[in-house]
Amino acid sequence: MSGDAVIVCKGVGKRYGRKWIVRDIDLEVRAGELLGLIGPGGHGKSVLLRLLAGLATPDEGEVRVRGKNLADIDPFELAELRREYGYLFQNYALFDFMSVADNVAFPLRQAGGVEEPEIARRVKERLEQLGLGEALDRFPSELSGGMKKRVGMARATIGEPAIVLYDDPSAGLDPVTSSKIFRLVRTMHHSQDDVASVVVSHDIDRMKVICDRYVMIFEGKVLFDGPEEAIEGADPMVGKFFFGSLGQSSGAS
Amino acid sequence: MNGALKSLASSVGGAVLAIAETIGGAVTLLFRILRALFPPRYDAEGVWRSFYNVGVKSYPIVVMTALFVGAIMVIQTAFYVKKTGATGIIGYGVGFSVFAEIGPILIGLMFSGRVGANNTAELGTMVVTEQVDALRALAIDPLPYLVVPRFLAMLGMLTLLMVLGDLFAIVGAALTAQLLVGFHWRVLVADLLQSRLLDEFTMGLVKAACFGISISCISCYFGLAVRGGATGVGRAVNNSVVSNATAIFVIDFVVGYLYSL
Ligand SMILES: Nc1ncnc2c1ncn2[C@@H]1O[C@H](COP(=O)(O)OP(=O)(O)OP(=O)(O)O)[C@@H](O)[C@H]1O
Ligand SMILES: [Mg+2]
Repeated sequence: MSGDAVIVCKGVGKRYGRKWIVRDIDLEVRAGELLGLIGPGGHGKSVLLRLLAGLATPDEGEVRVRGKNLADIDPFELAELRREYGYLFQNYALFDFMSVADNVAFPLRQAGGVEEPEIARRVKERLEQLGLGEALDRFPSELSGGMKKRVGMARATIGEPAIVLYDDPSAGLDPVTSSKIFRLVRTMHHSQDDVASVVVSHDIDRMKVICDRYVMIFEGKVLFDGPEEAIEGADPMVGKFFFGSLGQSSGAS
Repeated sequence: MNGALKSLASSVGGAVLAIAETIGGAVTLLFRILRALFPPRYDAEGVWRSFYNVGVKSYPIVVMTALFVGAIMVIQTAFYVKKTGATGIIGYGVGFSVFAEIGPILIGLMFSGRVGANNTAELGTMVVTEQVDALRALAIDPLPYLVVPRFLAMLGMLTLLMVLGDLFAIVGAALTAQLLVGFHWRVLVADLLQSRLLDEFTMGLVKAACFGISISCISCYFGLAVRGGATGVGRAVNNSVVSNATAIFVIDFVVGYLYSL
């Protein structure tokens, strides 16, 4: 199922001020693998995801992507690697000076090599697939949170990236749309060979359907790393989080 | 006493550090911009968009400021002209202060308040809403994509607008002379044109160009350095406006001094 390691973290730590947000993270993301990143809110999942994409630099340890240490390579190599990435931000990060269609088309236009009519066709198709066919010409400020998330989803996946990082793809979405989104995550994952995907989510029931392996982040550390079957033998916290109601929302427990 | 002295010393020290940090940040940014210009690697379409945005945002206030600057200078100069009877000085008096001093300073300040503040807010918002990170995640360097077009637009537009401002200042001066001071506008304009104010005119343009550079670097620096959400953006805009105004006075002084040598 899974092949070579695409992203490798060794002893990675990141702090803001004096406080270590994540520390001693050893983690591999392998080609062809769909990795689920779980853990309670505020324990460092988004920070870790930013480290995996090189959007934040570790204060300790190293992040290697395809064997290259992100901290050592020159800007051109870094740009080269980043072209392989798709990234869905937890807070959408849509370009507010562009229409929805331009937002989604942006990665394709920047990468070049695709004709404008073909871009328009693909953008329309992807947005329709996500139920946003009507929103093409609107601006991000005119959309609801869930709609923005879906536009972010379309932008992250339009270039068919080889490494895709999703930060909470179903947050703020109704159950039907959530299922659609997770289906898209899976479709993207299998659209080519050896795609490496990481999904951060609290929607554990839907993750169970698509993820090959789970990493649980607790208080900035890796508490668990393995497939669902291995959870029984792990720290009881993991089982409680994974099978209990803790995963859905902290307020409900 | 000792405590008060200490806190005074530490706040002065803090202010000096903050100034040094701003200058350092803005100058570093300027060098990075220049490196991105030669050889050119920036978004050409973005440059046009920036020119348009900057121009549309700022030309009304520049025109208005210029009209008033011309008007005020005529009234001031007319006061002395009437007192001394030296009618020959009115064109020179108006032209000199409008082209070389008051015009550039006031237009620079208005431009910085309009375009510079707006630019800091825009970039700052992009930072806190992770739009800048989204660009980086797509392998786009924010410098050539966001900063260089703004730099070129502010440099080019402010210089152009200074020419426009000079024209409107003359219009304002002529109107005021005619309508309020009782001085025929043709005499004023003829006098002004005969005063050989080319040096003053170019000095104004040099100042405008320098203001354009400083306003773009300072406002982009503060915008990209924003931390901490919406309040951070507010703080950055505030710092940007104050630093820009200070820089305008310093540049005005330095350029004026160099011309006087
Ligand atoms: N830029 C920052 N500056 C300071 N602290 C930060 C910053 N970004 C994140 N943190 C802190 O890092 C911790 C982890 O945040 P992170 O966003 O990774 O949580 P998370 O696991 O993604 O939570 P959620 O499930 O709610 O999205 C939090 O305590 C947060 O306060
Ligand atoms: Mg998060």
